[in-house]
Amino acid sequence: MDNEVPLPPPRRLRHRSPARANQSAPVSVASSFRKSRRLSRFDDRSSQPSSDPALFSSDDIPASGLENYNAPAPGAGGRKRRYRGTWWGEQVQDPKRKRADFKEKRNVDSGVWMGSDESGAESLLTSEDSPAWGEDLLKTVLDPRAPGRAPTDLPFSRGSVPIPASPRQIVVNGNEESEEHRFARKVVNDCLEKGEESIDLGNFNMRTIPIDMLQSLQHLTKLPSLREPPISENAYFSLRPFLRIYLPNNSLATLPRELFELKDLRVLSLRNNKLTSIPCTIRDLSALQVLNLSVNRLSHLPWELLVLLQKGELKHFTPRPNPFLSIEDADIAEWHCKSGESQHEKNDGNYDDDDHKDDDKGNEKLPQTQATFTEYEGTPPDDAWTAIHVATGPTTLYNMDGKPIGNTPSSRLAKTQQTAPTNAPSLRELSLRALWKLPGLDFIAEEEKLEFPSLVIPLLSLAQGVRADGGWYCSVCQREFVSRRAEWMEWWDCTPHENGMKRPRASGEKMRPLPFKRYGCSWACVPDSQRVD
Amino acid sequence: MRAHGPPSRHVPQPVEDRRLRDLHASTRTNMASPTSEYVTLVSCDGFEFIIPRSAACVSGTIRRMLDPSSKFSEAITGRCTLETLTGIVLEKVCEYLLYNEKHKDQANVSDMDIPPELCLELLMAADYLDT
Repeated sequence: MDNEVPLPPPRRLRHRSPARANQSAPVSVASSFRKSRRLSRFDDRSSQPSSDPALFSSDDIPASGLENYNAPAPGAGGRKRRYRGTWWGEQVQDPKRKRADFKEKRNVDSGVWMGSDESGAESLLTSEDSPAWGEDLLKTVLDPRAPGRAPTDLPFSRGSVPIPASPRQIVVNGNEESEEHRFARKVVNDCLEKGEESIDLGNFNMRTIPIDMLQSLQHLTKLPSLREPPISENAYFSLRPFLRIYLPNNSLATLPRELFELKDLRVLSLRNNKLTSIPCTIRDLSALQVLNLSVNRLSHLPWELLVLLQKGELKHFTPRPNPFLSIEDADIAEWHCKSGESQHEKNDGNYDDDDHKDDDKGNEKLPQTQATFTEYEGTPPDDAWTAIHVATGPTTLYNMDGKPIGNTPSSRLAKTQQTAPTNAPSLRELSLRALWKLPGLDFIAEEEKLEFPSLVIPLLSLAQGVRADGGWYCSVCQREFVSRRAEWMEWWDCTPHENGMKRPRASGEKMRPLPFKRYGCSWACVPDSQRVD
Repeated sequence: MRAHGPPSRHVPQPVEDRRLRDLHASTRTNMASPTSEYVTLVSCDGFEFIIPRSAACVSGTIRRMLDPSSKFSEAITGRCTLETLTGIVLEKVCEYLLYNEKHKDQANVSDMDIPPELCLELLMAADYLDT
């Protein structure tokens, strides 16, 4: 249907002789139609419609007529071709339109005005015409090539009503893209074409990244630069791209999930944007080596980033400056490292707190805002190179509805006794996990949501949020989850990775811990020391 | 939302619990006692599911219905009629209740399979049943 050639300009947009028309009119209804029929205003081809193009349906079925307009049109599968645009139909309208689009547009003024056959030059709307002119518009569905033919399709029958495309829809379709997006897309396409691994999208003033812009970078192929056979094997190199994306000095507030699907991404700069959080899917960028998050609005970092620092390739990490929650102002439930000499032994237990639980208890009361690294001489110890767990904040538990429950131990105990912490997810959680993976979820518009039962609407929004981030993962059991049940902050010192150079901590260096936020998918997924048994 | 599959799909079978099947005949007579080990859940279209009381009590709503001190008729007869749930949904709910009871103490629980067409109805059911 789409590929069909649009209607040629009608041969006779000229004045038709009324006699000829009457002669071939089989039914009186048709002739009454014709009387009110008007000459197209677009006789003058230079006049362009100022509003959105109207829709017209074709009438290419020879056997059609008023007497059988209810019968399905033979050969066309019961559907007529539709044309959008000028009167003579230059564009074929995309037939795949949603039913919902029609509902709101059926009664909208198309703004396209048809002149009348008879009125000719004085084809201005007269006052007595005005109530009926909308109907006239509909009646012009009559085939211009067959003057005597009655309409084959009632104006109000489904699917053939001239529907003006509203400007809102054009934006939704992405036909009209902002200038900076067009430029950015061009840069990306250029890089793709030339096999360029470094994509510089800095200073574009973008607020968002269009959804499909970065996706194609997954298939970026590096081009071998050799012209002649190399002399030594050293000339061979990997064609796996060393992908670098620079997005500094934009106004990004969110990041598209496609960005985190680029497995080859090595360098990512998000300097000077408006990011308030980094999605936890950043853990999928396992090849990431350099990450710049400076000059944003981050108050905390995702805990998954720490995994990249510890186990991944991430070496150069620039988190500051950012309005991070400072450890001096925050509640601390538990300190994991002491200042001074005795701290060295403690650092070994960073990854499993159980071993040192007893030590921690003794230190909990101490106000240790000035944690420093152990003093050493000679070669730096191993842990001078790694991230160090400094402190853990209190855990906030959430009930099934996503509301935080009281933080005092007594109320928490009362709550947990009622429903013991269990690893088995709730039925609601299970349904939500199944729901966010449904492909149709992206297409549920806000107004459509109102048709759902009211208690489902916030859950749907939640599932859409998860989908936008590409999934949330419990930081304890690594399973994906939708509604968080526990949340707490951990402070880790990452100075060896910061500031662009991987170097060991100096002896007795002051710790500058960063806040990392962790989420748990159930009440069983909480910090070891705070688990209620 | 619900897909219209072959007609056989629409006939929920009682939850497959082997112990249950063996005990089915004998427990039916004891059902009236308030402390019976099994309870009956009835859907709005008349399907009955007989599941262990401990599993049924995973749901807060059913637990409160069956609480012997409440003197609700459900507590006395051990039979809960859930007017808002259809048989198809209740079948899945019962599957969940047993799944939850089975995996309560396990560390790494795999997700239960939920057909996409039941997602929204199960969300509503989960809210009603407080589970």
